[in-house]
Amino acid sequence: MSGEPALMSLVSIAKAIAAKKFSSREVTQSCLDRIAQWQPRVNAFMAIEADAALAAADAADAALAKGRNQGVLHGVPLAHKDMYYDAGKVVTCGSKIRRDFVATTTSTALQRLKDAGSVRLGSLQMVEFAYGPTGHNVHYGAVRNPWNVDCITGGSSSGSGSAVAARLTFAALGSDTGGSIRMPAHFCGVTGFKTTVGLISRAGAMPLSQSLDTVGPLAQTVEDCALLVGLMAGADPEDPTASTLPVPNYMAATTGSLKGLKIGVPTAFYVDDLDSEVARVLDETIVTLRQEGAEIVKVELPDQRQLTAACQIVLATEAAAFHKRWMIERPQDYGAQVLMRLQNGLAIPGVTYLEALRWRGPALAAYLAAVTGTDAVIAPVAPMPAVTIAESDVGNSRDAEAVIQRITKFTRPINYLGLPSLSIPAGFTKSGLPVGMQLIGRAFDEAGLVRIGAAFQRASDYHQRVPKAA
Amino acid sequence: MTRPDPKQVKAMTEVAGVPAEKEVAERIANSIGPAFDGFAPVAGTLPMDLEPASFLLVQRAKVSK
Repeated sequence: MSGEPALMSLVSIAKAIAAKKFSSREVTQSCLDRIAQWQPRVNAFMAIEADAALAAADAADAALAKGRNQGVLHGVPLAHKDMYYDAGKVVTCGSKIRRDFVATTTSTALQRLKDAGSVRLGSLQMVEFAYGPTGHNVHYGAVRNPWNVDCITGGSSSGSGSAVAARLTFAALGSDTGGSIRMPAHFCGVTGFKTTVGLISRAGAMPLSQSLDTVGPLAQTVEDCALLVGLMAGADPEDPTASTLPVPNYMAATTGSLKGLKIGVPTAFYVDDLDSEVARVLDETIVTLRQEGAEIVKVELPDQRQLTAACQIVLATEAAAFHKRWMIERPQDYGAQVLMRLQNGLAIPGVTYLEALRWRGPALAAYLAAVTGTDAVIAPVAPMPAVTIAESDVGNSRDAEAVIQRITKFTRPINYLGLPSLSIPAGFTKSGLPVGMQLIGRAFDEAGLVRIGAAFQRASDYHQRVPKAA
Repeated sequence: MTRPDPKQVKAMTEVAGVPAEKEVAERIANSIGPAFDGFAPVAGTLPMDLEPASFLLVQRAKVSK
């Protein structure tokens, strides 16, 4: 087999290693070569563990030579957002406070990927404590967008978006509490899967908001994401909030056609205030979905601004509660922006917080009633493509706060409703920046989103485009 | 429901055990004000018998259909 292995999709490389067309060492070295080339430009990795990765790859190759295939990810090198505990490893959570924190347990999601045979490349950068939407990090430096290194990656899974886009890892775990998987997927031109809240165990994942946190992957393709979600989903005694529902075969959904499916397009909110190029990409995506056999219908959604407000109340309160001890003992060790966001939660009365939680059921019921008859809703992930790091730096730009509010506008309502949302690369701007669209589904209907997303990727090539190193 | 003003925010941070300076309280009041405004149509309107767990009922009921 010829070509650069690191450019292949997760599913393709896993099959190639299993078939001994590439060794795990060749594949791992290919990723390390690209990391050496790209890391100085994009700052996507928190830690690069080249020697350990190559040793693990050699062990995987030796096992395969003896006929022992550990699982569907046998010998596949991966790196993840640096908030998934891995026993014996430093897990910084993007923070100064946890710069030397060594995990004593391994997160369930990560363990399940290890059990399937994956090899650890290192860890990926992130926004401090996953509390920010742009990718800025005062402690470790901003992560940069491989399509234009002056632009943001989106956050908080900034390293995950950047590393997958530059093909430094075949996939990466992210987390999504207010949009932290979908925004980097959109800004960096990769596929990102925010799963239904409760589908994947959060045991051993750094908490931000227990009501809203979700685990999910970023990868090249919908098929890659389907494979990873299938491996990670399901009951976990370490996380009693995780679903006990049977885990569907998501990979089986990757071949379905769109004939007979109805996809809703919101009449308001998600189509308002769009940059012209995002509006164009939305229109083109709708055309493609229709050409592939889907019926497109308009949907009138309940007031999404109320959902955004409720999400902010829940998120701010829960984040402040998690961080209260350090806010008292080590306020100087937080970045200014993150501390400011955390302080917001101190001023929300308990009754207001509980009202926001109590309203979640009726709000979800109202949303589901509005989308009755549809299989998914399509909407932009953000109203604009990636902005520059400078113009979204709250410390340096007067307009930055407004920019940040606009970035998160279309993601937070979905977190409040706890629904799955699949972000897919759907086009590019004239200046070469990616634009993503999100497919929003019903709770635990990840398979339905996989079916639609995979069909779209069979009809398009945006997910296959790779940024060039200057 | 009305958004808290800086004085109220300052008092709440003191009660919470993480007291904020006057300038910080002003910044917090400005920052969280829109969330209070956005949630105002819902606040105070929910029926007594509604528990947070109703979310799970709605979420999982739809799966079975």
